Amino acid sequence: MQSEESLVRRAQNRDQEAFAQLYEEHFDKIYRYIALRIGNEAEAEDMTQQVFLNALQSISSFRWKGVPFSAWLFRIAHNQAVDHLRRKKRTAVPLDESVASNDNAPQLIAEQKLDIERLLLATQKLTDAQREVISLRFTSELSIAQVAKIMGKSQGAVKALQHSAIVALRRALLVTENEEK
Amino acid sequence: MKKNKEFDNVLDECLERLLVRGETIEQSLQRYPEQAAELKPLLEAALAAKKASAVQPRAEFKARARYQFRSALQEAASPKRRPFFGWLPRWATVVAIVLIVLLAGGGTVVAASNSMPDSLLYPVKLATEQVRLMLTTSQMGKIRLCARLADRRVAEIIYMADKGDVHQVELITQRLDERLAVLAVLASALEAEEEESPMLLAPSSEAMPSTGDRGVSDWANNRARLRMTVAGYAVYHHARLQAVLEKVPAAAKPALLRAIAVSEAGYREALEALD
Repeated sequence: MQSEESLVRRAQNRDQEAFAQLYEEHFDKIYRYIALRIGNEAEAEDMTQQVFLNALQSISSFRWKGVPFSAWLFRIAHNQAVDHLRRKKRTAVPLDESVASNDNAPQLIAEQKLDIERLLLATQKLTDAQREVISLRFTSELSIAQVAKIMGKSQGAVKALQHSAIVALRRALLVTENEEK
Repeated sequence: MKKNKEFDNVLDECLERLLVRGETIEQSLQRYPEQAAELKPLLEAALAAKKASAVQPRAEFKARARYQFRSALQEAASPKRRPFFGWLPRWATVVAIVLIVLLAGGGTVVAASNSMPDSLLYPVKLATEQVRLMLTTSQMGKIRLCARLADRRVAEIIYMADKGDVHQVELITQRLDERLAVLAVLASALEAEEEESPMLLAPSSEAMPSTGDRGVSDWANNRARLRMTVAGYAVYHHARLQAVLEKVPAAAKPALLRAIAVSEAGYREALEALD
């Protein structure tokens, strides 16, 4: 198992395999982050591809200063999402194939899809910053320090935002549940 | 204010224990009994949010994206080659090709149109195709042309695979992928046109109600025919590539399989856009 730092250095020296490995390790997380952030599957797919093509073009500018490579990638995704959201209003995600289907129990998958559908509907009622912190913290599983770097905020500010985001999400989930009844 | 900050820290610590270390909500609440009532609903909401980590990219998208990224990686790693006509600006390329057609009576271009990637005339063929695409004005015409050009790529893939030239098969597969991607984009744009056209075609007064209906239905018929054409190419290309799979040298088989996957994914996307 190679350290991320050595992989990144090899990728910077045009080692195709090293870059391919970084791609495989981060692809799903970046996709998930973008999908939750912009709420549209087709656009999330295009943007995920673009993030990695941008990373390929600019990897030489990445400087190893103790910041994980993933934070740099998420930063690229963050900038793209901000640009995108500035240009376009959000639409709903068609979820038919978005949920992991490695479990063979159809009922479980159906329930899982329903949960995620509810969640995505609820997140659309959040502010963009709240949605971003939820996406980075809970679906991409990044630490507060990493989220702070990506969002360009202090850790304290991210903790406060995380608090307000969860409160808003809970409220939105309750509203969504009531609407279903 | 200070109290808020304290609570933010407590909440974050509980989240860390809950989501990273796998503690239960009850265990977290036992650590902070005074804030338990406020913490509980928030931790439950956080657990609900965590369910979104089951969202996965579609398998076919992942495969296509991986292939395209690998191609981009290869291109980035290989030394840059100046393409034929690459030294000319785009408009000058068009003029150059038109001049070739006029001065040579089209002979060179006609000869080039049948050339294969190992021929000296092949770059002329590619440049001519670009010009044809640029000179085609209607969206439907462009889509039909893209499908015909994809047909040429498939013929070239088969030809080069038969010769065992893996590198060329990969390069042409990339061109096929790009051609089908353009086709899909054009097909999606057709969707937008379709939304606008009923309004554009709708009669301005109630005196001529049938004109608009006929316009819309003609458009729908054309679109349905176009879809059938593209679907026909999809089936035909798949069958042609599959048919030669057993006959080509073993070294060319993986590249040919990739070409089949690219063709399938590209047409699927295009047909979805035309549905």
